[in-house]
Amino acid sequence: METRPKVWLKDFLPEDFRRGSHRFGLWIGTTSAPVRYTAQPSSVTRLPSGPAGWPGRPWPGQQQRCAGRRASAAEFSVSAFPSQASTTSPSHRRPPARKVRVARSRLPQDPVRLPRGTEGRRIPVGPRSAKSAKQDGKLQKTSPLCPPPRFSRNSRPSALAPQLIHSPGPGRLGTSAPPSTPAPAPAPAPHTPRRTRPGSRSPSPAAKAELMALFEVFQTTFFLTLLSLRTYQSEVLAERVPLTPVSLKVSTNSARQSLHLQWTVQNLPYHQELKMVFQIQISRIETSNVIWVGNYSTTVKWNQVLHWSWESELPLECATHFVRIKSVVDDARFPEPNFWSNWSSWEEVSVQDSLGQDILFVFPKDKLVEEGANVTICYISRNIQNNVSCYWEGKQIYGEQLDPHVSVFHLSSVPFIRKTGADMYCEVSQGNVSTSIKGIVLFVSKVLEEPKDFSCETRDFKTLHCTWDPGVDTALGWSKQPSQSYTLFESFSGEKKLCTHQNWCNWQITQDSQETYNFTLIAENYLRKRSVNILFNLTHQVYPMNPFSVNFENVNATNAIMTWKVYSVKNNFTYLCQIEVYCEGKMKQQYNVSIKMNGEYFLSDLEPFTEYMARVRCAGASHFWKWSQWSGQNFTTLEAAPSEAPDVWRNVNSEPGSHIVTLFWKPLSKLHANGKILFYNVVVENLDKPSKSELHSVPAPAKSTKLTLDRHSYEIWVTANNSVGASPASIIVISADPENQEVEEERIADTEGRFSLSWKPQPGDVVGYVVDWCDHPQYTLCDLQWKNVGPNATSTVISTDAFRPGVRYNFRIYGLSTKRIACLLEKKTGYSQELAPSDNPHMLVDKLTSHSFTLSWKYYSTESQPGFIQGYHVYLKSKARQCHPRFERAVLTDGSECCKYKIDNPEEKALIVDNLKPKSVYEIFVTPFTSAGEGPNATFTKVTTPDEHSSMLIYILLPMSFCVLLIMIGCYLKSQWIKETCYPDIPDPYKSSILSLIKFKEKPHLTIMNVSDCIPDAIEVVSKPEGTKIQFRKSLTETELTKPNYLYLLPTEKNHSGPVPFICFENLTYNQATSDSGSCGHVPVPMKPPPSQLGLMISPENVKKALGKNYMNSLGEISAGGTNLNYVSQLASPMSGDKDSLPTNPVEPSNCSEYKRQMAVPLCLASPPLTENSSLSSITLLNPGEHYR
Amino acid sequence: MDLRAGDSWGMLACLCTVLWHLPAVPALNRTGDLGPGPSIQKTYDLTRYLEHQLRSLAGTYLNYLGPPFNEPDFNPPRLGAETLPRATVDLEVWRSLNDKLRLTQNYEAYSHLLCYLRGLNRQAATAELRRSLAHFCTSLQGLLGSIAGVMAALGYPLPQPLPGTEPTWTPGPAHSDFLQKMDDFWLLKELQTWLWRSAKDFNRLKKKMQPPAAAVTLHLGAHGF
Repeated sequence: METRPKVWLKDFLPEDFRRGSHRFGLWIGTTSAPVRYTAQPSSVTRLPSGPAGWPGRPWPGQQQRCAGRRASAAEFSVSAFPSQASTTSPSHRRPPARKVRVARSRLPQDPVRLPRGTEGRRIPVGPRSAKSAKQDGKLQKTSPLCPPPRFSRNSRPSALAPQLIHSPGPGRLGTSAPPSTPAPAPAPAPHTPRRTRPGSRSPSPAAKAELMALFEVFQTTFFLTLLSLRTYQSEVLAERVPLTPVSLKVSTNSARQSLHLQWTVQNLPYHQELKMVFQIQISRIETSNVIWVGNYSTTVKWNQVLHWSWESELPLECATHFVRIKSVVDDARFPEPNFWSNWSSWEEVSVQDSLGQDILFVFPKDKLVEEGANVTICYISRNIQNNVSCYWEGKQIYGEQLDPHVSVFHLSSVPFIRKTGADMYCEVSQGNVSTSIKGIVLFVSKVLEEPKDFSCETRDFKTLHCTWDPGVDTALGWSKQPSQSYTLFESFSGEKKLCTHQNWCNWQITQDSQETYNFTLIAENYLRKRSVNILFNLTHQVYPMNPFSVNFENVNATNAIMTWKVYSVKNNFTYLCQIEVYCEGKMKQQYNVSIKMNGEYFLSDLEPFTEYMARVRCAGASHFWKWSQWSGQNFTTLEAAPSEAPDVWRNVNSEPGSHIVTLFWKPLSKLHANGKILFYNVVVENLDKPSKSELHSVPAPAKSTKLTLDRHSYEIWVTANNSVGASPASIIVISADPENQEVEEERIADTEGRFSLSWKPQPGDVVGYVVDWCDHPQYTLCDLQWKNVGPNATSTVISTDAFRPGVRYNFRIYGLSTKRIACLLEKKTGYSQELAPSDNPHMLVDKLTSHSFTLSWKYYSTESQPGFIQGYHVYLKSKARQCHPRFERAVLTDGSECCKYKIDNPEEKALIVDNLKPKSVYEIFVTPFTSAGEGPNATFTKVTTPDEHSSMLIYILLPMSFCVLLIMIGCYLKSQWIKETCYPDIPDPYKSSILSLIKFKEKPHLTIMNVSDCIPDAIEVVSKPEGTKIQFRKSLTETELTKPNYLYLLPTEKNHSGPVPFICFENLTYNQATSDSGSCGHVPVPMKPPPSQLGLMISPENVKKALGKNYMNSLGEISAGGTNLNYVSQLASPMSGDKDSLPTNPVEPSNCSEYKRQMAVPLCLASPPLTENSSLSSITLLNPGEHYR
Repeated sequence: MDLRAGDSWGMLACLCTVLWHLPAVPALNRTGDLGPGPSIQKTYDLTRYLEHQLRSLAGTYLNYLGPPFNEPDFNPPRLGAETLPRATVDLEVWRSLNDKLRLTQNYEAYSHLLCYLRGLNRQAATAELRRSLAHFCTSLQGLLGSIAGVMAALGYPLPQPLPGTEPTWTPGPAHSDFLQKMDDFWLLKELQTWLWRSAKDFNRLKKKMQPPAAAVTLHLGAHGF
């Protein structure tokens, strides 16, 4: 987990300082030692200047004195520099590098405290650090002195300046062999520079012991001499000893990729401050490859440990670095010429050895940079045989090889990708298998923006509320970087506050006296710091609290007093308040007023009985900063009497002896009503005879009233009343004369929903004109409307939304005389928009002849149509291709052709269609038309012209039918005659006169033979060749007609096993009663068939079965024989027929004695009525349907 | 089943055991509880649900890490993440494990993974991701409880965590962010493999516990010898 890469300088404790100064004292003692050698001035320059070899004990008694002397000696020390410069080894000489093993232990990344005085100030690392280093340490690059460094782009020194860090370790320097720089004076020839290897720097132990012994012996002896000659000697010494940087130590900070240098300056005069310039060279990989040279200027104190750091753009693990340093005095007190000291030995910095045993490394470890930064990444592969491929954000990248093991990748202008960082990784693969993978996460932070719109304001003079727009959030994931922090700093009070919110902060005002504030808002993240500043007067930044207690006093119909309060924040603080008065959402009035604490304003020019909303807001009057929020309240003004007379109109219906006057008025507008209208007063005064006025009070919502007045002139006053009073009166006079309705109605053309009316001006004095009309003329309550027009106008335009297309509107124009009497001038009628007729007339066809007919539609109303009927179109379709004269050819909407006749007069509602062809079909259709078009399509009516000769037929048919009728009447009248003539009655033998004769002759045995009385044993049928149909009934048992000439009707022995067949012969020409009695009465014994037989025969199926084929066959054969019965023999019954007694008293069969020839009759007329007396079997058998098919 | 053909004594013993355990056979013993079957089924279902849940969570989280971790073909060697329990095991070894061992391994693995997952949750930057991770952790906790239930039902003791070996989430300073991301990657990968493996384990166990119940009894009995 990375910590904030802030660097703090170490604490500079007074205790250390004291301890240090104590050691200085020691130093002074030892450093003064060489002075003893100054007895031989000529040899001074040859003597080594390093006192370190003298770990001399402290001399308590001499410390202070020596210090004073040392200081004075320093004053002269630089004067010897010019001579020294000539002997200094040139800078190009490269002493062998001293390898510095850097422990892999991390340098503390924690902030290092600054020395007192600058304590608390943070120096961030990053883009600013180089700048600050330059400023503080007066670092200057001296590029001309060195070859162009390979990686100098981002390399930057960051001197921890001013380097006042007192090192606690001079003791070590004192006790160990001093890193003696080559002595300038005894320096050999330039081509043999003094070595810088630490091991060879110190004199040999034997020589050292010798010197020590010598020193001990002469110490006391020469002490006084030393004191007396100190000044001179010091001067000489200073001339000889160069100020050389010694004890150069280099440490690394991998996280910051920085080299940290610390050194001391040897031979510095005691308690003397010197301005010096140090030149530092940094090489990479090998010493000859100088990548950076720079100067670092600072003031150096005696025995001070100097610190300086340099940041490498290449991770330090990627390559070995070498550092060396030299110095020169650059102090105004010591004029030119200055000379450079010798270079220190190269210090080698290599971190690679301490990496570990992995086969692959990627550096730097996770890094935090700002968007747009350039980043250099390297990998170190232990085995050069390995195939290493590297990827940046998933894409393979290729680097440049620094050495066989190391490759470097330059990422320029890295963008912000994501909060969790962008990954760069390398993998070692053997074949397709990746054996090792190493990577780094590059955290790219967005660039911290300067806070925008920074402002502070106060509402109560107790708290300042500062706001700003923070811009982008630079927070990164994995706690790499939190969101930027904001700090508020006030310079006058020196107070500071860390803000907890990202876009606002509250600042407590503690001092009432402070009026001016100078705020600095500092936005800060790990990489950058930005600040904005505002300076303001507190009273200029007042955002007032909202006004309160808004009230209205003395509210009447047109004015009110508005009061409000504001919070008192400061004495004599004046507010500027703004008042707005709204009515129905619209601003009516606006005022500005200056107040102290309590506001009051007189609102005038208000409308009565109106709801207003008034609101107020305030701001500082002396300096406008910001309005407060609005505070508002509603109020309603009081009522006033209506200000205007109601607009009144009337409609007069004259009735015998009276006028029915309907008064209409329009409700007063809100503006004129001035309150709620409660009622309308109508005062009627007779003008013709003095009488009492009548007062009618009509409650408010009503808009009309009806008055019945007699035939006098009346003056009518109408006023609208509210709770306060009455309006001015509207006056209308009703004339005694009935209204002149005999005014011709004029049609007006429609003009898109508007009616333009014009009239002739009324002669005489006219106070104005009134146009009235009904909005809904089609309804009973037609909603009368009127419009007042000035006396000079002779035209107006009526336009309302109520007008509908297809509705006829009638306008009446009245002139108002000076006596307020209305006189009808003109009538207009029109449509706002004409439509086509909605229906067609009902058509009547009459006077139809073979050549013409007449059409008429006289009941069609032209008034109630949605347009002015202009005429009619008559369409005629016929088979003839040619149209009749007057008709023109037209094509209908369905595409069929026909002939059209146009009638232009809407009142002409009949048409004679002539020139027609007889016995032809004509289709005809009549439709009206308006300016908008014809009526709807409808079906044609068919008219067929009659035949030309049909009249003649009538002339024939009528007489004929008359004749027939006459004949029929004649027939009816002469029916008896006809009957007698055509079909006389057949005489009844029983009623014949012969009977009486017989009775008269008393021959009782004589009787009329009934045919049923005898049983014929054979009938001879005479066949006729033409075949006469014979109604023949025969026995069912008789199936064969082997003997066609004879039918054996009597039962024989052998065929008497079945039911007894019988046969009836009927003489149908007989009287019914007679024949009935005789038809079935002649039943042979046994007379009654057994029930079983009856049942059998009743069933029609059985009968059918039984009859079946045999019967049909026989019938067929018989019928084939002939169609007419020639004759039927008739047996006369000896007994007189009493039908009632016949079944019960069957007469004995007797021998047939007589035959009577009868007239033959057609079969169809012989439908014998069946009676109950008839034999059942006979009934069944005689089913005519079965017999005659 | 470690029965060998021809082992007549063994067969006889098995027969006796079958008869002895006959009342305990679930099919016959209708009055007793339903045994571990339903809880195994539940555990299996929960495992499958977690597999499904992890699929979307891993997608979101790896996108959050960025490339190469969200690349489908990114298959780095497993460096670091040594403390994560490995789900991959040789098939033969896996088959040789008995139910108790399998369940124990599952339980221990999920205990560890859950702990790491909670660490993951702590450092997630987005609230949505934190919610998803918290939800997943709760589900995983449920799975752990479910496995413990199955183990209890089968009469196995729960593994006791050794004192001091409790895995803790320590994002030490020596751990680079890249390695941290790798750990997260491997955590999700192992979790996926573990869930896949657990699903197989529970399916196997489920089949074992289901009828024919006699076989179960036989198996249990055979262990007695």
